[in-house]
Amino acid sequence: MIDIRSLTFRYDGAEEDALRDVTLEIPDGAFLGIIGPAGAGKTTLALSVGGIIPHEIRGDFYGAVKVDGLDTADNKLTDLSRLVGTVFQDVESQIVSSVVEDEILYGLENFGIPRDEIEERMDFALGQVGIAGLRHRTISSLSGGQRQKVVIASLVALRPKILVLDEPTGELDPSSSRQIFSLLRSLNREYGMTVVVVEQKIMLLCEFAERLAVMSEGRVVRDGTVREVLGDIAGLEAIGVNCPRSALFSSLLSEKLGREVPVAVNADEAVETARRIIG
Amino acid sequence: MTDLFQVVPGNSPLHRMNPVTKIVLTLAVSVAAFLTDNLFVLLFLLAFDLMIGVVGGVTRKAFSIFKGLLKVSVFLFILQALFVRRGNRLFWIVTDEGLLTAAAVVLRLLVVCLPLALIMTVTQPSDIANSLVQVLHLPYAYAFTLTTAIRFIPQFMEEMSGIMEAQTARGVEFDTKNAAKKLGMLLPLCVPLLISSVRRTGATATAAKARGFELRTRQSGYKRYGFGAVDLMGFLVSAALIAGAALIR
Amino acid sequence: MITAEHVGYAYRGNVRTVSDLSFHIEKGEFVALLGENGAGKTTAVKLIAGLLRPTEGRMTVNGLDTAKTRVSERAKQVGFLFQNPDRQICENTVRDEIAFGLRAVWGKKETERIRERTDELLEVFGFRGDEDPFSLSRGQRQQVALTSTLAPRPAVLLLDEPTTGLDYRECTRIMEFIRRLNETEGTTVVMVCHDMEIVLDYARRALVMAGGHLLDDGPVKEIFRDAPLLEKASLLPPQIVQIAGRLGGEFAGADDAQTLSSLIAETAKKKGERA
Repeated sequence: MIDIRSLTFRYDGAEEDALRDVTLEIPDGAFLGIIGPAGAGKTTLALSVGGIIPHEIRGDFYGAVKVDGLDTADNKLTDLSRLVGTVFQDVESQIVSSVVEDEILYGLENFGIPRDEIEERMDFALGQVGIAGLRHRTISSLSGGQRQKVVIASLVALRPKILVLDEPTGELDPSSSRQIFSLLRSLNREYGMTVVVVEQKIMLLCEFAERLAVMSEGRVVRDGTVREVLGDIAGLEAIGVNCPRSALFSSLLSEKLGREVPVAVNADEAVETARRIIG
Repeated sequence: MTDLFQVVPGNSPLHRMNPVTKIVLTLAVSVAAFLTDNLFVLLFLLAFDLMIGVVGGVTRKAFSIFKGLLKVSVFLFILQALFVRRGNRLFWIVTDEGLLTAAAVVLRLLVVCLPLALIMTVTQPSDIANSLVQVLHLPYAYAFTLTTAIRFIPQFMEEMSGIMEAQTARGVEFDTKNAAKKLGMLLPLCVPLLISSVRRTGATATAAKARGFELRTRQSGYKRYGFGAVDLMGFLVSAALIAGAALIR
Repeated sequence: MITAEHVGYAYRGNVRTVSDLSFHIEKGEFVALLGENGAGKTTAVKLIAGLLRPTEGRMTVNGLDTAKTRVSERAKQVGFLFQNPDRQICENTVRDEIAFGLRAVWGKKETERIRERTDELLEVFGFRGDEDPFSLSRGQRQQVALTSTLAPRPAVLLLDEPTTGLDYRECTRIMEFIRRLNETEGTTVVMVCHDMEIVLDYARRALVMAGGHLLDDGPVKEIFRDAPLLEKASLLPPQIVQIAGRLGGEFAGADDAQTLSSLIAETAKKKGERA
């Protein structure tokens, strides 16, 4: 489990805190989406989970982040990396090799995985992510979505308990974006991997995530199941977070009819709601 | 231009050769080129370079690199020919010795640069780095810097052409013939490019550290870089080149 | 305004990235280019901008053949907003950045006119002229880039995924501005966009591409109702269209209700009828 306690962080040279007194518990096996306007501190929070902050990115760090009981500030980044895999916003810069196979091997080699186990881990990672056919391809010949999958596979090979992703679909088209989220769902459901994903596309989060944390001005201002968080559309709008049309539909309908209408998280629920109302 | 630095995958003898052997071969060609002043030997070495391209299955690329280098060579040749004053005057201020020296300099440049560029097109940067670490015991941090730098070149070029495209769309005329003017337009654009590049390399280093960069040792590499018959051939050819050049001079 | 006649483009004799592209866009239209990555959308807008020249066919903008027009001439007609503002921004202050595009298009001698236009835009957008663009957020930088692009009042505005990396508010601000420009000044807008909600809200016509070909061309609302077409182009219709479409079978009229309010009204009406 990830236990973030009163975390405050200010980047070196910055005039304001990027995170202000953030407290958040993320249970094992959760699929958490983090959303919020630009500059809310989403990336900072994501980088704090795996210990990139404070180990690689310097600044004033107050409070504590514990992953499986390990305090990120007291443990080496290398040790934390066995627990948490982080996918950065700029995927391109995260790739260290020029061939897919080498990229997957990189972490396995460094962490000293026994030779006879490496092949098995490689097959697992490539198979799980669905890119077995790309094993011998060069990175430069891959599309954006494929590169994203290679980076995820390179982390999955290390079998972390937690996967943190910072806007993994930022540069992808709708169908590749959905593929990435389906992949995250299968890792979450089949292997119980905890998934923490920063994402602007609210509809993807509503479809795939179980919990939502909404950030604004360095704070976590909402934290709950997707349904709970979507219950307060006016509040989200005020923060600057978009809502799926299905939720707007149910909320406006409730206004129009002057009675309680349950929140429609996705299109299916909206259709169902409408049918039930019409009778 | 961007694809100039991209590796062409394949299974030619050159692809199968140990990266260390390829480096030895490249060095041998260079040593041979500096040992001799004989234009015929230099021409032979140049032909040998192009042969490397043919054997590696990258003939077209070899010739396109050759053509690119030739442009620089013509410029260098003229410069050299004008500066050397020894020997008998042929016309204006150009002497016979000047022409010969210029030819040797230019040929040497071609002979040395060509195989280096060719080796890069048939070898993945990570293979070069890993084999240097494994075979020659190069510290991994240096090898990592090397591969990152090599991988970085095409990215840099892509970014540069992206920026030029964006500026062209705003009406900046990059298609001007005036080289000085073009440089003047490009320089201010280099600042943001450098900033983003530095940020990127920083991110790459962090990502590597998050995947156990600091734990890596000489034994870490999963792939083994052994020496086979192709490599033996490579070493023999290297020795022959150096010996030949030293004998004929 | 923009006419493509059997336009094809192949990079240095390689496979064509677009082929046999034919369409005509009138002045004042708001067109979205839809399709998955690699479908040829970006190539298509670059062809319109004249950044790429057709290897087959003919592309004309405002009657001028793009293959025969000079960069500066073209930039007067066509503004191009890229996905990444950092490739566009190259000056140290917002004022200089806005003036940069103007100087390139109007010429350096027009100092007075350039200053007036820059002042006007700074005021409209509420930018501080002396601010360093690189100290701004991504969304603000995209706005600076947009301002600089439309400063010379181009007749055509091309947008290549203009809202990527922006949050909801920044995205709405940019899109609302583009809408106003389209409605009040009659600027022709051609936009590559992956967000179908935005396409539904802002564009009126859509060109659907797949594998370098034009699959279909029509009003956005009709395109989004064509399920087999969307499937072929790997697109999902906006959520509201999905809801309306699925309710359509149960009560007539809902299929047309593609906007939220009409869908609500329709549902409430149906409820009244049944009750």
